[in-house]
Amino acid sequence: MKQLVLQLTGEGGALAGVPYHLVAALAMLVFGAIVVFVFVLPVAGVTSWLERRVWARIQSRVGPNRVGPQGFLQWLADGIKNMLKEDIIPTAADRVLFSIAPYLVVIGFVATFAVIPFSSTLVIADLNIGVLYITAVTGLVVVGVLMAGWASNNKWSLLGGIRSAAQIVSYEIPAGLSIFPIVLLTGTLSMQGIIQAQGWAPWHWFLFHSPFTFAAFFIFFVAALAEGNRTPFDLPEAESELVAGFCTEYSGMRYLLFFLAEWGNLYVIGAVVTTLFLGGWQIPHVTDNPVLLAVLQFGVFFLKSYFWVFIAMWVRATLPRVRVDQLMSLCWKYMVPIALVNLVGTAIWMTVVPARVDRLVQIAMTLAGVAVLVRFFLRVRFQLRRAKLRAVDYYYSPII
Amino acid sequence: MGYFRNIQETVATIFEGMSVTFSHFMRRPYTVQYPDRVPIRIQDTLPFRYRGILEVDLEICTGCLACERACPIDCIVIEAVKDQQTKAMVLNRFDIDIAKCMYCGLCSEPCPTGSIHHTSEFEGADYSLESMLRRFVKAPVVAYKPKKGPETDPDIAPILDRGMAYLNDFASAGGDE
Amino acid sequence: MSLGGYDVEVQRPGGLATEEMTLNMGPQHPSTHGVLRFIVKADGEVMREAIPDVGYLHRSIEKIAEKVGYHGFMPYTDRVDYVAAMPCNQGWAMVSEKLAGIEVPRRAEYCRVIACELNRIASHLLSVGSMGMDIGAYTPFTHALREREYINDLLEDLCGARLTFNYMRIGGVAWDLPPEWVPKAVAFLDRFEPLIDEYNALISYNKIYVERLANVAVITAEEAIDYNLVGPNLRGSGVKFDVRKDLPYSVYPEFEFDVPIGSGEVGTVGDCFDRYMVRINEMKESCRILRQALAGVPEGSVLAKVPRKFKPPAGDAYVRVESARGDMGWYCVSDGSEYPHRVKIRTGSFTATSIIDKVSRGLMLADLIAVVASFDLVAPEIDR
Repeated sequence: MKQLVLQLTGEGGALAGVPYHLVAALAMLVFGAIVVFVFVLPVAGVTSWLERRVWARIQSRVGPNRVGPQGFLQWLADGIKNMLKEDIIPTAADRVLFSIAPYLVVIGFVATFAVIPFSSTLVIADLNIGVLYITAVTGLVVVGVLMAGWASNNKWSLLGGIRSAAQIVSYEIPAGLSIFPIVLLTGTLSMQGIIQAQGWAPWHWFLFHSPFTFAAFFIFFVAALAEGNRTPFDLPEAESELVAGFCTEYSGMRYLLFFLAEWGNLYVIGAVVTTLFLGGWQIPHVTDNPVLLAVLQFGVFFLKSYFWVFIAMWVRATLPRVRVDQLMSLCWKYMVPIALVNLVGTAIWMTVVPARVDRLVQIAMTLAGVAVLVRFFLRVRFQLRRAKLRAVDYYYSPII
Repeated sequence: MGYFRNIQETVATIFEGMSVTFSHFMRRPYTVQYPDRVPIRIQDTLPFRYRGILEVDLEICTGCLACERACPIDCIVIEAVKDQQTKAMVLNRFDIDIAKCMYCGLCSEPCPTGSIHHTSEFEGADYSLESMLRRFVKAPVVAYKPKKGPETDPDIAPILDRGMAYLNDFASAGGDE
Repeated sequence: MSLGGYDVEVQRPGGLATEEMTLNMGPQHPSTHGVLRFIVKADGEVMREAIPDVGYLHRSIEKIAEKVGYHGFMPYTDRVDYVAAMPCNQGWAMVSEKLAGIEVPRRAEYCRVIACELNRIASHLLSVGSMGMDIGAYTPFTHALREREYINDLLEDLCGARLTFNYMRIGGVAWDLPPEWVPKAVAFLDRFEPLIDEYNALISYNKIYVERLANVAVITAEEAIDYNLVGPNLRGSGVKFDVRKDLPYSVYPEFEFDVPIGSGEVGTVGDCFDRYMVRINEMKESCRILRQALAGVPEGSVLAKVPRKFKPPAGDAYVRVESARGDMGWYCVSDGSEYPHRVKIRTGSFTATSIIDKVSRGLMLADLIAVVASFDLVAPEIDR
């Protein structure tokens, strides 16, 4: 992009004479807007559709399958419907805060896309403090949610907002502490730098680097779920307790924005996890064509991050919700200490363990991961057999 | 040690639960995609005893008022008068307020011919309460008179057969044999 | 993790003035199981008191009985507890039969037991499913409801309705078992029984779930008896009392079954988890009863001879049936006319609401949902 801007502002360019920085800033804005409209919104929308379909299959239902092929366009229909709905602001609500709260939440998640590296070249801005930037801008979400809860002037909303504030602030700590081992290993905060320090093969990923990073991965993922208000940590909008939590009083477009942020955030979680622990866009060397390379890298990155989106959906379909005090004790008594142990453990590991052992451990960890997967599928087979299904009860196709 | 047992139990039970949910990706959904994506109309799959919207076969209605008396919410209104010349019962009115009806089936039990019976039709939504009042008698009609022997009229015989089949499905009173 | 009781006295540094927050939970709230209202005084997330406010679903069903007569009241009993309508049917049939001294054919008794036990499983499925949903897991609910649909299909074949059955009549039942129905019911049991284990694997022993329910709202056996809890709520506190076993009626003495009681397997005896687990185990016991009943249905008629103008002699009668929500009492005074003089129904949900205020003090707001779900309150049964 830098080259493009240089070309435009240079000798004979279309914008010759215009200051370079102005053009660069404008180009960033345009590119950012394109990313938001072409990528972020559809991803959030499709995630909402996919989540409903995944949920439905787990629950022996069908899910939305009428709008478009297999209901694929359901998110568009829902979006249009919500946009056309009346935007109700309660009389007693604080109008200003009530109106801007959803936008803060959306900004909090959209801004993270600025540093997400989709391929070695496809990234809006490869900040040298990328990881820090992500933890910082997601902090905006808590302001928006708290604002929404307070401004609604509704007791359920208030409880939801307060719960959310306590939850997100608490879980930033284990999440942050679980990023540190990776930062220690790579010596950089840049997202691209972290990916470049890993390889394409699973045993090159930080997930299987050492037992400490393995644990850090799970702590990060769980903490990210909590920050994204996902089950089992969906207390702020706990449907059975707080009606709809902080978004009880919202309707129409503003309500939609909260859910856009929730589903979009799911993808952000997947993307960050992929970057930090799963080797990001790394692929084996297959081509030198930069366009093809970018496409392949993007594909790999997208699949990996969407896999974790799928896991989050699946977790949501399985687990019940924790209680407020359990949420806090889980964070402060379990995740923070373990994350600290991981941090110190990684530091010791780096200084003590020689490179050869390191490689062995990585392969052993990968094998252990495979073993867990195999055990899991054996267990699935056991569940199917225990249910004593008839042949007609089996149905493998996702299409229905 | 409780600390580590908690972690171990959490991981183990979540693992187990996730295996159950994953196994459902391989099971057939139970949903019936009513109303358009079903192989046969739902109404045709319902059991014979299904208590749907009430229907009256006026051809075999005797005008005995048993159903009107049996109805606990008085949603059936019948006007039957005896014609002085022909000594026959004439039905002037037979209304069932479907909006009131609670589909209990108490009216079809005492019916001597199975004239009033539940159908398997359940799609009864309408735009006004008035249109849910079903008026079966359009013009005064002479009530059916049960014959001693089998029914001979070819128009009425199949209706009566169906009505009697409906009646016979009910348990008949009798002691322990 | 900290559990159960909380210190109600909240220390405020510097004497900061705080207020209790009054929350109106209900009548329209996602997890009050119908229209039930709780006036909650809360200090943040901790409840100071939660007073149930009942009456939003009062339909004067007992008064209606005085207007519609003995036969005509049967469909109304479906509405007393529409989640488990069969035991209500049976209660009314039994009290009328007791008044008039009618002997019910044995085959009819078997039909009644089969219908009631199927309905009990359906009701418990709804209860444990909505328990999962109230705790935040949506999947167990749909799985439970899926099985409940199969039961509804069976009952639909049996009596033509899926919810308000109106299956029983004074002196027996209205319809005999349809042909080929018994093998269908047995096939359902074969299918259903392993799914209870699967359900337990999915949610019952999930650590988060256990933590949410164990040691919450503990009711001792004495308290349970004092507050007149019945059914699974009473048995969850470790009191082994089941009307089917201790005050046997119908043909229940002929069947072999256990009465599951709360064992405090993950917490204290009488906590929410015990009440929940009693229901799960009762489903298994109901399956046992059903297998025995389906195998031994005797031949014969299913309806005794009862005059259409049913006039029991003057007097009164009280019968107790074990509904899905416990001991359900039916009291009827007859003055010898076609209409009952007075009918009173004693239901388990109503008495269970009385203890909610006591056990919920000092619990968290989220626990109230668990407590309400663990009592398996059904709003129409509270108000009638």
